[in-house]
Amino acid sequence: MKKHTFRKHKLEGTDKMENAIVMKNVCKDFKILNRHEGLKGSIRDLFSRDYKTISAVKDVSLEIARGEIIGYLGPNGAGKSTTIKMMTGVLEPTSGEIMVNGLVPYKERTKNSERIGVVFGQRSQLWWSLPLIESFRLLRDIYMVPKKDYEEMLELYRSLVDIEPILHKPVRQMSLGQRTLSDILAAFLHNPAIVFLDEPTIGLDVSMKAKIRSLIQGLNAEKNTTVILTTHDMGDVDALCKRIVIIDEGKKIYDNDIEHLKSYFGSYRTLRIRHADDTWEERVIDETKEDVMDVIMKKQKEQKIKDIQLQEISTEEVIKKIYENSAASKESAAVSDVAEKKEEATV
Amino acid sequence: MSDTTMTKPKARRGFGFYVRIYRKILVQDLKSKMSYRADFVISTIGMIMTNLSGFVTFLILFKNFPSINGWDYYHMLFLYGFSLIALTPVQCFFDNNWNLRFQVQSGDFIKYCFRPINVFFYFMSEVFDVKGLGQLAFGIGTLVYAWVHIGIPVTPLVIAKLVLFLLTASLFMIAIMNAAAATCFWIVGSGYVMVIMFRFKDFAKYPSNIFHGVFRILFTFVIPIAFVAYYPSLAILESENVPVLTWCAPALGVLFFYLSYKFWMLGVSKYDFTGS
Repeated sequence: MKKHTFRKHKLEGTDKMENAIVMKNVCKDFKILNRHEGLKGSIRDLFSRDYKTISAVKDVSLEIARGEIIGYLGPNGAGKSTTIKMMTGVLEPTSGEIMVNGLVPYKERTKNSERIGVVFGQRSQLWWSLPLIESFRLLRDIYMVPKKDYEEMLELYRSLVDIEPILHKPVRQMSLGQRTLSDILAAFLHNPAIVFLDEPTIGLDVSMKAKIRSLIQGLNAEKNTTVILTTHDMGDVDALCKRIVIIDEGKKIYDNDIEHLKSYFGSYRTLRIRHADDTWEERVIDETKEDVMDVIMKKQKEQKIKDIQLQEISTEEVIKKIYENSAASKESAAVSDVAEKKEEATV
Repeated sequence: MSDTTMTKPKARRGFGFYVRIYRKILVQDLKSKMSYRADFVISTIGMIMTNLSGFVTFLILFKNFPSINGWDYYHMLFLYGFSLIALTPVQCFFDNNWNLRFQVQSGDFIKYCFRPINVFFYFMSEVFDVKGLGQLAFGIGTLVYAWVHIGIPVTPLVIAKLVLFLLTASLFMIAIMNAAAATCFWIVGSGYVMVIMFRFKDFAKYPSNIFHGVFRILFTFVIPIAFVAYYPSLAILESENVPVLTWCAPALGVLFFYLSYKFWMLGVSKYDFTGS
């Protein structure tokens, strides 16, 4: 009996080592009351059972290995936040399974939260009126971080960023960049296995963005922390993520590495043409459909061209294409085609 | 490596843990509040003015009615002081209830769900309202003044009863405000609910035997305003004929508080956290 439980425990243990997060066919529906207009309508709403169901996440399966940095992308309202909320244990999935660090998050929210860190860009979770160092001390107590580990973590922070200027500053007096930096440091303080970063660089200047990216990279490398990064900034993705997952309308539409992404929808290139009046015209060209030379020749017949440039498509353009494609395929109901393509891509 | 976190012994967070954390937050919070001196001074003056105006209303009322339902001036004053003290904890420790609906509507509330500590505790610990202390001083002054004039003997038993019933009384007010604030998880106009409930506390300053019929039942069992001062204070004021409800008050207080806490937490678990 004893032996059996021990083995079982060990099995779970090995599973923990491999995957930080496992999601199997996860769906999340929200019930929303159909509201009626006017005073009469709102009185009716009080007693109404007239709900409509909205599925925010549809059948998403995902495995994230320990130490990975994942870019979790999708247009606004695609279901990114809902997924994150399920992973952090705030929301319970309608169906499907989630395991985070070997725990079912919504069942053991408190236990789960000991081993994760969360940063929501622009929403500080620190004590507004306290100097950063005092927030750190409180977090140390809340997470019961041993003194030695705490000191080591502060040392690591010092080696990665210049924290001295912000350490004794109350959070309310900080700039947005300093606050984001502080929030990220606070999220890593108890050495969590997974850190969720929701738009960490939103609204920041270029140099601060770079600073924050290198900090995340450094912490990931040093502590082998799994990082789930949601962002609309492709600079973040290019700098940090090897693998990206794209979700749209609640469905996973892409899950692979960044290199793959660029060849995903045919071979695209950006053609830039400089006209006689020194203005640049930009066009994304699908080389499977039209030839770059043909386009240039056609243009040349119309007007004088001073210069041309041919560029690799940027991540930003590819993502835009994927979003557009996904929207188009929904309209034409040719979902199966994309699904097949997706299969290919994920293999 | 991350192995260190995996072998961490199972953490236990008991009552002592929460007291320690609260004390630390409080000390830090007070330190930072002191550094904003103008803010501190102005809010203290504001609180004194509010209390003074309440007091003046009370005096004018008594110029015209020398007694209310058999309660004379000093007994009424006692009740008044008692209610002020009983309202201090809700003011000092649970003031963040007033911000709940804004945080819930904006979605900021979600941040309280990411820490391995009790959500209710974490939320309330964020605000300590110093203004409550002015009210406390005012209440103690009024109570002592009335106490001396009525001539209640000062024995250890009476003092113990006073402390117990003051705590009981404050539990009721905390429960009322918790429940009122928690309505924001379901309805949009919860601000009105809170304001109305907070206004009801003014009734606590009057002996609830002035209310009759439906109102008496309402203020005793539904919105237990009568327990915020009237019933608990009878334990001190009356030497005999203490109503049964007075003796039930401590247990009821704990029950009401527990129910309001459960209601509050139910709201948290039912809340969708829609919007990012």
